Amino acid sequence: MGLSAVRASLRRAGLAGINADECRESVVLNGTVPTWQDFVAAGYAAAGKGYRGVVNDVQVEGVDPQSLPVPALSDDVLEGRDFDAVIIGGGIIGCLLARELRRFDITVALLEKEADVGRGVSSRNNGILHPSLAAAPGTRKAAYGTRGNRMYRKLASELGFRLDWSGALYLFPRRWYAALYPLAYRRARRNGEEHMGLLGRADVFHLEPHAWPAQQGGILFPDSGVVAPDQVTIAGADNAVENGARIFLNTAVTGLDVERGRVTAIRTNRGRLRGRVVINAAGVWADRVAELADDRFYTIHPRKGVMAVTDRTLGDFQQRSLGMMWIRGSGHTKGGGVSRTVEGNLLLGPTADEVPGREDYGTSGEELEAVLRRHMPLNDWLRPDHIIAYFAGVRAATFEEDFVVEQSRHLTNLIHVAGIQSPGLTAAPAIAEDVRDLVAAVLRREIPVRPRPEFDPCRKPPPSLSRLTLEERHRLILRDSAYGRIVCRCEEVSEGEVVAAIHSPLPATTVSAVKHRVRTGMGRCQGGFCTPSLLKLIARETATAAAQVTWEGDGSPMLAGDTGE
Amino acid sequence: MNERWDVVVVGAGPAGLAAAAAAHDRGTSVCVVEREDRPGGILKQCIHDGFGLLRYQDRLTGPEYAHRELSQVRARGIPILTGVFLLAIRRTGRGFGLTLQCPKRGVFELATSSLVAATGCRERTARQVFIPGDRPAGVYPAGLAQRLLNMEGLLPGRRCVVLGSGDIGLIVARRLTLEGATVEGVYEIKAEPSGLDRNLAQCLDDFHIPLYLGATVSRVHGRGRVSAVTVCRVDDRLRPMADTARLVPCDTLIVSVGLIPENEILRGLDVEFDPRTGGPIVDQTLQTSLPGLFSCGNSLQVHDLVDHVSEGGEIAGAAAADHAAGRLPTMGETPAREVRAAGELRQVVPQRIHPALPGRIVLWFRARRTLEASTLTAAWSGKPAPVEEYSSLRPPEMQRVALEYSGQTDHLVLELREVSGNARENGVRAVPA
Repeated sequence: MGLSAVRASLRRAGLAGINADECRESVVLNGTVPTWQDFVAAGYAAAGKGYRGVVNDVQVEGVDPQSLPVPALSDDVLEGRDFDAVIIGGGIIGCLLARELRRFDITVALLEKEADVGRGVSSRNNGILHPSLAAAPGTRKAAYGTRGNRMYRKLASELGFRLDWSGALYLFPRRWYAALYPLAYRRARRNGEEHMGLLGRADVFHLEPHAWPAQQGGILFPDSGVVAPDQVTIAGADNAVENGARIFLNTAVTGLDVERGRVTAIRTNRGRLRGRVVINAAGVWADRVAELADDRFYTIHPRKGVMAVTDRTLGDFQQRSLGMMWIRGSGHTKGGGVSRTVEGNLLLGPTADEVPGREDYGTSGEELEAVLRRHMPLNDWLRPDHIIAYFAGVRAATFEEDFVVEQSRHLTNLIHVAGIQSPGLTAAPAIAEDVRDLVAAVLRREIPVRPRPEFDPCRKPPPSLSRLTLEERHRLILRDSAYGRIVCRCEEVSEGEVVAAIHSPLPATTVSAVKHRVRTGMGRCQGGFCTPSLLKLIARETATAAAQVTWEGDGSPMLAGDTGE
Repeated sequence: MNERWDVVVVGAGPAGLAAAAAAHDRGTSVCVVEREDRPGGILKQCIHDGFGLLRYQDRLTGPEYAHRELSQVRARGIPILTGVFLLAIRRTGRGFGLTLQCPKRGVFELATSSLVAATGCRERTARQVFIPGDRPAGVYPAGLAQRLLNMEGLLPGRRCVVLGSGDIGLIVARRLTLEGATVEGVYEIKAEPSGLDRNLAQCLDDFHIPLYLGATVSRVHGRGRVSAVTVCRVDDRLRPMADTARLVPCDTLIVSVGLIPENEILRGLDVEFDPRTGGPIVDQTLQTSLPGLFSCGNSLQVHDLVDHVSEGGEIAGAAAADHAAGRLPTMGETPAREVRAAGELRQVVPQRIHPALPGRIVLWFRARRTLEASTLTAAWSGKPAPVEEYSSLRPPEMQRVALEYSGQTDHLVLELREVSGNARENGVRAVPA
């Protein structure tokens, strides 16, 4: 343990040129390496050597250290404002936390640099609520994953998002894997998993007739589900707003003023505000935000995952999440798989690749091939032409590969919620609960924090045609004819739903924001048919011109203008 | 309003309108349901001319052609229910039950003896042809761009690259140019263009828009909005050659890479499909494998001439009326005759022949590749008889022939053969370095 252990480990990794020092209980790495893989290897070499965390300041030749992006918008909406709690980052953690904090009579502001919440990894994952097998017992990942998993059914009924408690099935590539079942069983039990079962080859085909033809049995975890993760985030944000939290979009943090051991002000592109407590939930940018307060003790190294999605008609051919059991997976991932989304699409992936870009959402041909090659065999019905879309997410991994959920040791009013990656979606409700109590404890040193009896945990989601019976649908259309006009034919979304989304508690005024709420353009035509209607509806409801409507905020106009100009 | 019909036609595009008029003329009650607010289908946004050369011996615009077809339906007093969305089809003892919704009536049911599916097609998307890269605004299928330009008065972009040389892409390239946008080029992965010759001449050559054959877009760049695309040549297995890559700055990528028949509403019914056409397998009446269900227009197969669409609609509509009236013999014990495509034929519709219906049969086919002088022959058994000769044939140009069927008991073998010479060599214009 200690610096000598770190240096020995670096030498073993062939990275003897890297300098390791200790600073405020963390190990700090410096030097220059030729490749990004060396940077990652150095970070791992220094992890787990008895330090609080790894601050990896190693430079990579030809790779510019990215700075936090700031939206073009500039105003003084926040100038001089005071809040009890200020959350930086509108991912699933930030949004669920904003909601939780409004159980108390404190003022809450959430700052999000994008034009909508949940635009990072919160919407760019496979939506699986994992069973507690993958995480090592004793880690925060394991504890929060197990607790969060058990909170989801209640959360879904309160927030009104779709949840399929469909189960997960991990398949064996060889028959002798069954011999390892007792090990897997013990590990999962230690993590708190209660239900699991060993299946033979025939049992698997009985449950999933289209499962991988070469499978040799598997393990079934009934306590696993799927959600649309973007919709969970949005539902949390909407309910937070319904309960009086303020969400400021297009708002990026540009600086944190620190005086006498506390964060005294938060500088943004929209003015300088104060928060009694500041919560850093900035996802892939969390270490950069920590740096603004000179309070870094971890490093986010982006890990990219590419996913591909089929038309929702494929959902007839699979019920559960299917994954492959590999004794040695490819590094730090459960290996992805094929899951069935709540809408019935099959979702393949994700991959896992260390990349320098924190918002590297592009996809290359090789990445796409890798997803298909690796995951398509899991369901024998799948063919490449079933794929209607693909996308990428970037996990906010730390070198310790565990969640950071703790108070700063140097600043009394800063809380870090960082390194939240798989099973981050599963864990999110439990993390939000704990951070809520942490915030309350910090605040109580200064002000009374009382429960707010008016808190309503239940969102009133607008009606969704696809979830209504024909009779309910009929009555709804007679009450409001806008629900009778189908805008998106592939996903059967009506004008009424689009209008309701535009005017939701956190208004959706971009094409992307509407898409993530009601699924317009998510179907097989990918917006080919509905885009004109959508542009006109957003323009009408927000009193602007269709030519002004954007894909996702500033710098993303859908159109160049009107014709004949 | 009548809730039980002899024939219900789904879709008021050219196929559905022709089917409705033909069904009415056979003395049955018929009703058309249409999800859009106005009938006419895709013709509404096709404001260029060239429609109706065969059917009306006239050069009409899309809306003019639609108007003529619509007048025929209106003159017959056939109801067209617009703004009506079909939710589900189920089989009943007497035909089909349809569940629909519309703003005025809410959810309602229609019953029909015969059903004509004329539901059109959708565009293959940039994602479906696997163009990697970023996902900014500004990547649009050509038909969407056409709709924005021609029906909404909106300009999708100012500096555009077109991927795919399908007809819609070519026509949209011209429209964009006429609206003041710049089209940097049309990139076609294959060695020959997919569009009709007349569109290559009138849309590209006349406007000095370059066409790059054997070249594709290999990556999209841009945050927020498209800022550039990478283009490159492809090898003989259509794989991008990285060393030929070139960055083309632009704000829009128009994708015209093919059309897919839309038959999702038939899912769950017991209908057989033809993987080559993407539509149902039909006999010479355009009846599918499900008795009483007929298919026509672009949901049957993607057409390039609306005149062929209308003719197919008439065939399907008339047969649907005969089926409703009990005049169409059931297949019974006699199995259907197959139509087998041989030689240079890529696809043929119909794929089957109803043995109890002698008479004239209309067949549509496409060649597998570009051919010089070639002959189409038909053989019921034994010696093939010539049907038609062609001086040249290209895959984008669907051909139509009529045959006399006199109840032969054998399968029909349709064969396309090149008479002499080799496939036309196409001059490949290289992507400039």
